[in-house]
Amino acid sequence: MTLALVLGGVLALAAVAFVARPFLREPAPASDRLDEPGEPERRRLALAEERDHALAALKELEFDHRTGKVSDEDYRSLVGPLRRRAAEALRSLEPRAEGRHERVRSSR
Amino acid sequence: MTKVAARRSPARLVIALSVAAALAVFVLYTSIAGAGTPQIQPSDLPHHAGQVLLVGKVVSTSGDAHSHGGMRFVLRDVSHGSPARATVVYHGSVPDPYRIGREVVVTGKLRNDVFVANTDSLTTKCPSKYAPAKSKT
Amino acid sequence: MPALGRAALLLSFGLVLYALVAGSYAAWRRRRRLALSAQNALLASFLTTAIAAGILWAALARRDFSFVYVSQHISHSLPLGYALSAFWGGQEGSLLLWLLILSGYAALAVWLNRGTRELMAWVVPVLAGVAGFFAFMLCFVSSPFDTAPAPADGAGMVPSLQNPYMLAHPPLLYLGYVGLTIPFAFAMGALLSRRTDERWIVATRRWTLTAWTFLGVGQLLGAHWAYVEIGWGGYYAWDPVENAALMPWLAATAFLHSVMIQEKRGMLKVWNMVLVALAFCLSIFGTFLTRSGVVSSIHSFSQSPIGGWFLGFIVVCVVFSVALIYLRLPILRARTKLESLVSREATFLYNNLLLVAFCLTILWGVTYPLLTQALRGETRSVSKPYYDFFLHSFGLPLLLLMGIGPLVAWRRASVRALSRMFLIPFGVAAATGVALVAAGFGSSPPGLLAYTFSAFVLASIVLEFVRGRRATGSVVRLIGRNRRRYGGYLVHAAIVLLAIGIAGSSSYQTVREHALRQGQSMEIAGYTLTYNGLGSKQEANALATRATVDVSRGHSHVATLHPGKNTYPVEKTTSNEVSIYHDPRNLGDVFLIADQIDPNGTLYLKALVKPLVNLIWAAGFLFVFGALVALWPDAVEQRRLAERYASGAVAA
Repeated sequence: MTLALVLGGVLALAAVAFVARPFLREPAPASDRLDEPGEPERRRLALAEERDHALAALKELEFDHRTGKVSDEDYRSLVGPLRRRAAEALRSLEPRAEGRHERVRSSR
Repeated sequence: MTKVAARRSPARLVIALSVAAALAVFVLYTSIAGAGTPQIQPSDLPHHAGQVLLVGKVVSTSGDAHSHGGMRFVLRDVSHGSPARATVVYHGSVPDPYRIGREVVVTGKLRNDVFVANTDSLTTKCPSKYAPAKSKT
Repeated sequence: MPALGRAALLLSFGLVLYALVAGSYAAWRRRRRLALSAQNALLASFLTTAIAAGILWAALARRDFSFVYVSQHISHSLPLGYALSAFWGGQEGSLLLWLLILSGYAALAVWLNRGTRELMAWVVPVLAGVAGFFAFMLCFVSSPFDTAPAPADGAGMVPSLQNPYMLAHPPLLYLGYVGLTIPFAFAMGALLSRRTDERWIVATRRWTLTAWTFLGVGQLLGAHWAYVEIGWGGYYAWDPVENAALMPWLAATAFLHSVMIQEKRGMLKVWNMVLVALAFCLSIFGTFLTRSGVVSSIHSFSQSPIGGWFLGFIVVCVVFSVALIYLRLPILRARTKLESLVSREATFLYNNLLLVAFCLTILWGVTYPLLTQALRGETRSVSKPYYDFFLHSFGLPLLLLMGIGPLVAWRRASVRALSRMFLIPFGVAAATGVALVAAGFGSSPPGLLAYTFSAFVLASIVLEFVRGRRATGSVVRLIGRNRRRYGGYLVHAAIVLLAIGIAGSSSYQTVREHALRQGQSMEIAGYTLTYNGLGSKQEANALATRATVDVSRGHSHVATLHPGKNTYPVEKTTSNEVSIYHDPRNLGDVFLIADQIDPNGTLYLKALVKPLVNLIWAAGFLFVFGALVALWPDAVEQRRLAERYASGAVAA
């Protein structure tokens, strides 16, 4: 019984210490704010997803065309808009990528 | 091929039609096949004329389910509330857990004060691993 | 030791309660350190739960009958493996297993996603809320650490559970059921944090697939166990506890498909949220059904107070999910619309509707006795004919769709492309149908349709591999570059094998019963069964009585089978021991049941011939293989995802 009590006590202390660890490590941090993605970050993410979707759709269209699932006319009518979508998404992302490189360069 | 007007998505139409179709199939089935079989205990048996699922605890048993005369056993209500008893005549497979005190389910019909069970319709409940503790000697 | 176990569980409860309260506050008020602290609490709860589990396992191994749980579920003579498996053999232990797996999964999910702090800030309280319920039950309602003066011997284990399948079936099922909590928590976390991106889908894609695979395999193992151990000649009886696992599996199947539509076309966002919540709620409902005794089942026995708690928790989960989805409707707007009713998106939509419809009809059937009792004061129930009808009505079109889907392109498909794609599979199906009718298989229309549709699907899958190989040069490269798609095709092929096995062994089986005296024979489906003797043998914990039956085909002897019964003195029960001959000619079984053995040696023999039944079990292996292929990480894709979420994250 006493062994159980001691072990239980040790366990409880260890648990409390682990839970309190973030506060013990940074008793007075510069910022305790949990960052959420701001509007520019959300837009970048949406554009990145858009770009990946467009590229994946293109890849799948090419594959479906090569395996005969998509006819030549359907391929021709679908590939144009998809390529445009992908190009637009890539273009919209570029200024941001450039912007990030700017920030990194200036911080060095 | 089918290029539907972009104004309204055909997805909603498809969903609505499919839900209607599924409901129609369901309603058709229940109206033809009837809405389930009543599940009753021996105290309710006199009030039911047709096919029922009889649930009860075995009080006594005799005979051989594979013989011409069949196995005869008596059931009582699962809870101790009622003195009602039902005499069952059964032919077919007898599940291994079957014995006096076991809760069983059997399908059949009441005929001349005796419950004539459908062949092979006897099932017993497994003593539950989740039932509350019973005292051990 | 029981005291330490109780203490460990209380600690678990305290930790998850902290994670829930502190985590919610931290996410709401955007407190970084508090969020991390809540995350640590969730991680620590896995350790404390593992300690509690270890104590119970040790007590089972030691046969410490001062633990009430131990004395109720094992005995001195029970082999060690089964004694350890008694961990999940009862109410309290299985609840502890659930909590152990849940806290383990939660810890892993938190660890893998530690980079996306703002999403995890909300996921942690949701996970903690679910874990909190189970921890509460274990601490205050149903504790595995109750003690009493130790009896001389325990109650022993129900003989039908003393079987290798029972070592694997419940843990696998739980790994599946509990696994559905993770995608649910991420989905709700995404809604709570108002995130509109796909991070939650990317993070949980493999979790969902893994949980779904475990649930599927767990069910197959359960069916196999019922087939060889309970031995009534079948493998699925539409019993509520069987349906309890099937329903979340069907909802998860629908979710796995519709989530692909959201990824590719940005549609069905609300539907996916509803599906993931449905799958999770059904998994809790499933365990509620199994434990509460509320629905009459061959497995449940008495009304248990635990049912009320579970019902309350399910209500909370449903209300929470519905309210949250409703409140976030404005941010769940679709990116695009369905362009054509003849496109792969559309076939996925039809498949979803069929899967959910089937799931709901099963739910209706399971709750029917409860509803009729509540509304009419009289309990009515439905059985096999009801379920079989809907299995055919929804299952057969689903089978057909599995063949149609892969042949149709995304967005829209032209008539010419479709007719080119469908020509060969349609031809194969038509030829198969005609051949089957000529061979006499028309006796069962659903069976015939199942076979014909299966031929169609298999042909379309084979063609996909052939065409794909032509385009990429080798099958290995083909699969390597398109793991999800071709892994999915392999899983479809497994489902088709399953359908063929089920159709053969149910629609085309033969059953005969006969009373035989020694030396007598009976005929069934081309086999002759001769009863040649009776013997008894004392085994470790049972007296085994076996009849010797020779099986021959024509004049050649093919097998000697030994159906019989085991009598267990400690548990005071008998069990049915069936004997099965696997016929390689038709991949079927000759299944013998010694229904009754009279003192004078007369054997009441029930024989079943079940064609193609072994395809069902073989399908399980292909199912797992296909799922593994679909799950296998793709380095290129991982890099791309890491780059996409670079500002916050580590990919799942």
